[in-house]
Amino acid sequence: MITLAAPLTLPARILGVVIGLILTGIGAGFGFAAGASVQIVILAAIATLALFVWGWQFVLGQFPATPGVVEGPNPARAAWMQYRWPLFGLALILLAFVVLSLTVEGFFNIWNVISLLILLVILVLTRTLGRQFQQNRSAFIGIMVLAGLFSVGSMNIEGFASGINIKSMLLFAAFLGIASVGQTLVALLGGLDLSIPFVIGGANVGLLYLISLGVPGWLALILVLLVGALLGVINGLLSYKLQGQALIVTLGTGFAISGGVQIITSIGSEYSGNVFGTVPPWLVNISAMNGSTFGLPFPPVIALWALLALILIVGMRITLYGRFLYALGVNRTSASRVMISELRYWVGAYAASGFFAALTGCLLLGWSGGGFIGVGDQYLFLTLAAVVVGGTSLLGGAGGYGFTVIGVLVLQVLSSFLVGIGLDFKWQQFIFGLLILPMVALYARSPHIRTQI
Amino acid sequence: MSVVPTNDAVQGGRSNPFLLMPITLFFVLLALAVLRAPSLMSSSGIGAAIVVATPLILATYALMASTISGRGTVDLSVGPLIGFVNVTLIQLSSAGLLESPIAVFLYAIFIGALYQFIFALIVIYVRVQPIIVSLSGYLALTGINLVILPRPGGIAPAFMAEWGYGISIFSPVLVMLVLASVAWLLFTTTAFYTHLRLMGSDERAAYTAGVPITIVRIGAHLISGAFAGLAAIAFTALISSGDPSQGTTYTLIAVTALVLGGASLAGGRGGVFGSALGALNLYLISFVLATFNFGAVQSYVTNLAYGTILVVSLLLTLLIPVIQRYIRNFSPLLYFVTLAVVVLGIILHATFDYAALPVAALSPRGMQAALTGPLEIAIIGSQTEALRLAAAPVVLSLLLLIVIAVFLRVAVGQSDRRSFAPVVAVVVAALVLGGTFVMTQRPFTTEVAP
Repeated sequence: MITLAAPLTLPARILGVVIGLILTGIGAGFGFAAGASVQIVILAAIATLALFVWGWQFVLGQFPATPGVVEGPNPARAAWMQYRWPLFGLALILLAFVVLSLTVEGFFNIWNVISLLILLVILVLTRTLGRQFQQNRSAFIGIMVLAGLFSVGSMNIEGFASGINIKSMLLFAAFLGIASVGQTLVALLGGLDLSIPFVIGGANVGLLYLISLGVPGWLALILVLLVGALLGVINGLLSYKLQGQALIVTLGTGFAISGGVQIITSIGSEYSGNVFGTVPPWLVNISAMNGSTFGLPFPPVIALWALLALILIVGMRITLYGRFLYALGVNRTSASRVMISELRYWVGAYAASGFFAALTGCLLLGWSGGGFIGVGDQYLFLTLAAVVVGGTSLLGGAGGYGFTVIGVLVLQVLSSFLVGIGLDFKWQQFIFGLLILPMVALYARSPHIRTQI
Repeated sequence: MSVVPTNDAVQGGRSNPFLLMPITLFFVLLALAVLRAPSLMSSSGIGAAIVVATPLILATYALMASTISGRGTVDLSVGPLIGFVNVTLIQLSSAGLLESPIAVFLYAIFIGALYQFIFALIVIYVRVQPIIVSLSGYLALTGINLVILPRPGGIAPAFMAEWGYGISIFSPVLVMLVLASVAWLLFTTTAFYTHLRLMGSDERAAYTAGVPITIVRIGAHLISGAFAGLAAIAFTALISSGDPSQGTTYTLIAVTALVLGGASLAGGRGGVFGSALGALNLYLISFVLATFNFGAVQSYVTNLAYGTILVVSLLLTLLIPVIQRYIRNFSPLLYFVTLAVVVLGIILHATFDYAALPVAALSPRGMQAALTGPLEIAIIGSQTEALRLAAAPVVLSLLLLIVIAVFLRVAVGQSDRRSFAPVVAVVVAALVLGGTFVMTQRPFTTEVAP
């Protein structure tokens, strides 16, 4: 038996290879300097490297490391090990700033430096204070990001913090927020509802269609909302039967709803799906920019959203319905053991989702003044993004509508900011996509598989 | 003795009842489509169908490969990824780079695999839910696609200019599709595939069993990326230009096709056979609906039908446990062959030109000719006739042998089970023997032909 040399540690091996490479480089350099032919230099270089690495392994292996010598790393190294990732991040941000300053003309001004400082303060605060918030970490991070974005935006962009802009941001946030109510409730139970955009589009066209038929506006609105809730109930029943397939079931019903509404509205119409009609003034007032709430100069939809958010946040916290919803989301089996009806809550959440999607569609009709089936298309993934950025887990049981409000506001302020610095929709979408991941990664990392066994 | 190419080769499992739905739906739709539009069953009809359906099928493959790996990996970004490869390909080729076919294929597969590699690394090391990663990728890629190519346009590389015509069945697109499918089937024979399915079904079990889940997950995503690259090439060949806005459509259609094909979005179950059938079903739905001519509401009816069929077929999967109670050893291949024989009859009926038959065709001899007539390729010379007569006993005995062997195998193998398989085998055997009998009879073409 040949006694093998004791295996080297990884750093020792890497060190060996590096020293070997350096030696080889020196040798090759001398070879070229001496004017040897290329083949000989390459051959010699390979031979040097191979011999050295072999020798390193063989010779060092004869001296096994004595166990007692290994001590704990010195304090500096320990600190480095602990904080290396944040430091890497800081270095990267600074590097990006320097590169931008050197390449983009006029980038290096006082406002941008202040923005950078705010960004760094937010990051440091998030890393340090964020640890204190075990439960609501995502809300804390969201608020920090919101504050940072807002302050940076108002410093860099003229009119960002003006009343008009804040009003318009809140208006669009209200639409997205109302559309996300259902998504939040459904996500709390561990489901998904992709039919929301189709219901929005269907409600938008359907309401105008009913009004153009001569149905009174208020009755038409109630009818559309009821149909929306009914579709939600169907969604709920179907996806309850097909557990785990909620994504695809709601997608299918969404297709069917969108197609069906358009078929109904285009029967007897020569415009094939384009519905024309007059939107009643009170509906326009609810959601138009220049609407007024009891004489106050902001559209009622913002007040409606605020009220809704308040009811939902408080309601989910104190009512039995809210607590049972969380219980079901965390663990279905144990919840049904304590006599919580899984079916009823599941269907209820989907019905709420359909109802609020239809409501959003109706409100968007008041805003735009004309029916369009594709009006909800951007909400397909935006509602999901708002829920996820806010910090509600898609697996259920954690989060709440308050988190979604923060998520909606972050998305809205961000998109307003991007518009302000002159980026159009496609760039916004690109940056949204790139930002969702790190934001979620800050607080919603799942545990490693070895801790789940 | 391996007479039957068993369904092991097709699905990697002996019994896969989840293929029941897609197979049934496929043949129902195919029969409908052929009855509505017999022109589908011509060389150009099938060629066009292949060219249109291949990007769908390959996109579904791409989705399938990553979905099998579990954790609810439904890659919503597969559509925008195809769009990304498509638009960059168009821009690079119009800039004069990327001219040769090899470079184009390597580029597409490399970009697809690279994206999926990053995807896998994020899922593994950042440990964010895959659906969020894919949502993120969806938004980012959709945005960047529009930046690269703001509106549809551009020209595909010169060598694929004629790929999208679909004049004949055997086009390069078909070769791509077949190679991709065969590659997956070969892959299913490896241990890696077993690991993948194990991980998809139960990741914790796989981890405790010592399966290197990191590597398996990366591998699944690399395969998915390669398929996405191929899908992008097929898509580019189809439209011969660049289109940045197809992302949403392809994502939704691919997810729908995957589910229609009997795969599980939770992971662990899925294959090329089902995925291809699912995508073909979607294509056939829109084809059949297009033959009805709804006028202005055409696209709405298509949407409605997509949604309804999707939901109904999902609901029908609830019946599978019930069916399984009665048919314990369902064989997708046998079922497929049986339905294929029936539908072949319908196709022959739909495409056969009865009016061209002379009146004499009604006599028994004429009937004979009518049955064999469509199968005749050319007018038979005396030499061929002689050769045929000589070969007939050999062919007949060979067919007989195969039929008997299959029948015996099924009869013996299934004797202790309550199963329909022997009945199916008897029917198929009778059909084959009847056909053989008709064919070996001396043809009367010379007498009937004018």
